[in-house]
Amino acid sequence: MTALWKNNRGLLIITAIVVVLMAGLLQSLEPKVWMSIMLSGATLAALYFLVASGLSLIFGLMDVLNFAHGVLFVLGAYVGLSTFMNPRLLFNTLPFFFVLVAAITVAQHFGRIFWRRIGTERGRRVATAALLLLAAAVLFLALRGFPIRALNAFNITAVGGAVTTAEAQEPMATMLRRVTMVLLAGLPIGLLLAPKQTKDELPLRPVWQTLLIAGVAVVIGYALLLVRDPGETFMLAMSTDVRFVLAIILGTVAGALAGVGIETALIRPFYGNPVTQLVLTLGLSIAGIDLIEAIWGEEGNPPMSPPSLFAANCRSDSLLGWFSEHCQSIDVLGRAFPTYRLFIIVVGILVFIAVGVLLRRTRIGMIIRAGVQDSEMVQALGINVRRVFTFVFALGSALAAMGGVIAAPYLGVFPAMGGIFQLQAFIAVVIGGMGSYVGAAVGTIILGLARAFGDHFVAAGINVPFLDTVIKGSPAIARASTVLIMAIVLLVKPAGIFGKKE
Amino acid sequence: MESTASLPTKSVARQRLGEWWPYLLVLAFLVLFPAIAALTIGDSTAAQPGAGFFEQLVQRAESGYAKFWQGMVIQMLILGIFAMSYDLLLGYTGILSFGHAMFFGTGGYAIAILIGRNFNWPFGLALIAVVVIALVQSLVFGVLSLRVKGVYLAMVTLAFAEMFFILAEAGDFRAYTGADDGLHGFPVPAYLSATDHRTRFYYLALIFFVAVFLMTKRLVDSPTGRVMIASRDNENRAMMIGFNTFWFKLIAFVAAGVFAALAGALFALYNVSVTPSVLSVGRTIDALAMTIIGGVGTLVGPVLGAAIIQLLGYWLERWFGANWTLVYGIIFMLIVIFLPYGIVGTLRARSFRLREGWRRWRKLGDRD
Repeated sequence: MTALWKNNRGLLIITAIVVVLMAGLLQSLEPKVWMSIMLSGATLAALYFLVASGLSLIFGLMDVLNFAHGVLFVLGAYVGLSTFMNPRLLFNTLPFFFVLVAAITVAQHFGRIFWRRIGTERGRRVATAALLLLAAAVLFLALRGFPIRALNAFNITAVGGAVTTAEAQEPMATMLRRVTMVLLAGLPIGLLLAPKQTKDELPLRPVWQTLLIAGVAVVIGYALLLVRDPGETFMLAMSTDVRFVLAIILGTVAGALAGVGIETALIRPFYGNPVTQLVLTLGLSIAGIDLIEAIWGEEGNPPMSPPSLFAANCRSDSLLGWFSEHCQSIDVLGRAFPTYRLFIIVVGILVFIAVGVLLRRTRIGMIIRAGVQDSEMVQALGINVRRVFTFVFALGSALAAMGGVIAAPYLGVFPAMGGIFQLQAFIAVVIGGMGSYVGAAVGTIILGLARAFGDHFVAAGINVPFLDTVIKGSPAIARASTVLIMAIVLLVKPAGIFGKKE
Repeated sequence: MESTASLPTKSVARQRLGEWWPYLLVLAFLVLFPAIAALTIGDSTAAQPGAGFFEQLVQRAESGYAKFWQGMVIQMLILGIFAMSYDLLLGYTGILSFGHAMFFGTGGYAIAILIGRNFNWPFGLALIAVVVIALVQSLVFGVLSLRVKGVYLAMVTLAFAEMFFILAEAGDFRAYTGADDGLHGFPVPAYLSATDHRTRFYYLALIFFVAVFLMTKRLVDSPTGRVMIASRDNENRAMMIGFNTFWFKLIAFVAAGVFAALAGALFALYNVSVTPSVLSVGRTIDALAMTIIGGVGTLVGPVLGAAIIQLLGYWLERWFGANWTLVYGIIFMLIVIFLPYGIVGTLRARSFRLREGWRRWRKLGDRD
């Protein structure tokens, strides 16, 4: 009993406080109102959690405070939105990524021979600069004048009105030239990423595997381009549910890839120098949001329509009823609640369980947990902890991007949403204790509930006991409440609820 | 003979001059800048015939490009004060704060509200009030946030600043803060108006700048400043020697807060407007960027960084239009990678890390 108390003191105290608070609120509110506020809070909490969990894991394992996490959230949201509503963008851009991956894979494999032939250090330096310039020049020539904004002008909210697919797309010959040039630009990039030390004689991937990966990627890339017109028609004719699943998958993959890219290019060269890493992610967040604005526009999109599973214009009596009717709202104690938001909550819980199982029950999870404790020791035990770093960074980025996709039908998609969610995730992580996975979950639940109840009291006011007045807050007070909670928690426990002592 | 005992030492004045000549050179340039601008890029038709040489000079300085570039330098000086105060935290005391805009913005709002229609205080009194408010504010939030360290402190200060930002945007205090519109056209004393008497405002900003520079330099060179630097380098050791580093960090926090508030007040007076954006995280990031680009842990660096960012922002916006921050972000990252000690730090150490920057990237393909 005492051991249980000692080990879980933070959790137990917080649970007790939350339960008492909720019970008190249940006394003063009608149950149906209380329930719907709780569910709204849980919806927000689930979205915050998807951002905060990655942030917390990344910080805990590699001491990187990732200021670019919000950018990944927005990136996921926009990629998901494009998959769901504007597939022509995918058919006209994805080929670039596939051929680039193919070229990089091949060049990286055979790059060792290239570097071995250049004997001197000076020669290698010159070759590096030359390859970098070559890649930049070819990429620039390949992508110059690419009509990205026209491809994105798919709905009436876009500035200048919608552009039809026939007008937006470039002729097939131009696109083939562009894709082929990107393929060529991938070769010097692959060479740059190839191992350069001649003494490094680690076994490589077998040649047939490299060729297989590259071949499949090239075929997919060109095939996507060639079928772009029937492909768009086909995708738009698909059921919205399938498209939504595709959107989640593509958004998440985009987030993971971006995460790998960020970790490789900006974080990995600067381990042991946390301020530099932090400042670099900060610079990336400035540039990244602007890149997203340059591609998708600054104006943002209204909430996209939820998939048809959550779209029928009716109100189900129960979950069982929803299974057959697919209504957009569901009856909760006599009050309607949107089913899509329940879906967000379920996703949040599933992700919490899945990542929890990954951390607790798998080998890599064990390494991650050990790395959070002492990454140097893990390295000393002969585990390539850097590779685990990349994995965790990709995982965190993927979770944030997935949060962006599932937030899109609820909140809409706009470039500033990343900053908003990132700040809330920071606050949640500080409340829960940095580096603690459960802490991130608890912190986000507290924040979500605080926001939901705060919004309710802004709308309805608080009955002051023993007085007949009703105090109404302003929206600002609901927004500032999260900061106040954080200040209180830090005053009581400077390392957060689940944080380790310094 | 007595002369055998005396050593051929320089006089104190010459010794001082030897240390200070670069600063004096820059100061001389800044003092003469309006005159130079008036004679080179000023509008010669603006000078009224018959007026004295000095008056003509002022008239020319307050016209055309000369007026514009004086405005640029005024903003550089104001942002320079802000960045210097930030470096007092980051560079000299090792406190990574993400809430410095809190002081900058509060200074701006305080002066705008106090001289505005609600209070109508005289200007001098309002300026003193700004200092007092900043003192109290930085004491309170310093005590609160210095309980934690490192990244936690960064996030705590970030959240506190966000709270002020939310309060400034809130509709509840619209009568005072103007909510999300901010305050515009509050009665800046006519003799200080930056539109009518730009040269005069220029010298006001310059005086403030020099004063803050000297005070900061005095602070970091004093024994107190040495303890700050010690607690940056190794806090445990500083505590072991017997210094309660908390107080020294608090001194740095308060000094930085007051200077930042002064910069914010000047900024508000110059623009004759404050909007909630002066309290936003972006302001703090600006200060951080100026400090990092110029050189962390130097006083000249942040000022240089402020000048560079001001110019860079101006040119990039002209060349690249609305998406200039994309280029700015990339340039910023490249500077962080290739000049990790900033411009001044790199010059001082005389060690360009260009090669190291390359090597870090060239090693990417190698297995660990």
